[in-house]
Amino acid sequence: RSRSKSKRISGFDMAPPASALLPGATAAVAAAGQLPGTNPAIPGLF
Amino acid sequence: CSRLHTKPSISPTVLLSNMYQRPDMITPGVDAQGHPIDPRTIQRHFEEFYEDLFEELGKYGEIESLNVCDNLADHMVGNVYVQFREEEHAANALRNLTGRFYAGRPIIVDFSPVTDFREATCR
Repeated sequence: RSRSKSKRISGFDMAPPASALLPGATAAVAAAGQLPGTNPAIPGLF
Repeated sequence: CSRLHTKPSISPTVLLSNMYQRPDMITPGVDAQGHPIDPRTIQRHFEEFYEDLFEELGKYGEIESLNVCDNLADHMVGNVYVQFREEEHAANALRNLTGRFYAGRPIIVDFSPVTDFREATCR
């Protein structure tokens, strides 16, 4: 398969959507008692 | 099947649980807004997923076979079975994929006892 065309970004290491990390973005996050920003800031780094 | 399948400690095959999510998984044929989805869109979505997988998994070893459950039923939904040529390749993939994300969802990876997909049924 040709790799010459511009590749779309792979879904790998795509962290959960940023909106889920913003304050008040999702009720579910707040309900879980999870503080915004506690998710790993850099996906794939462990 | 509700059986508890044993997870081998080593196998040439790894299972990525519920990894593929088709765009119309909640409501077949239509998107979240209720608009019908062109089958070609779903096909392209699948092919891109497959391509991502193939490219990433190829880094860890030689892929013997790559099976994606493109189903809507709860059972095994979106499961991906990757059989490598060698057990070490599978172990390498498992090590490297554990704890990572794909499209915003965590990757759940385990060894799978399946080595022949033509006969992959519950025993």
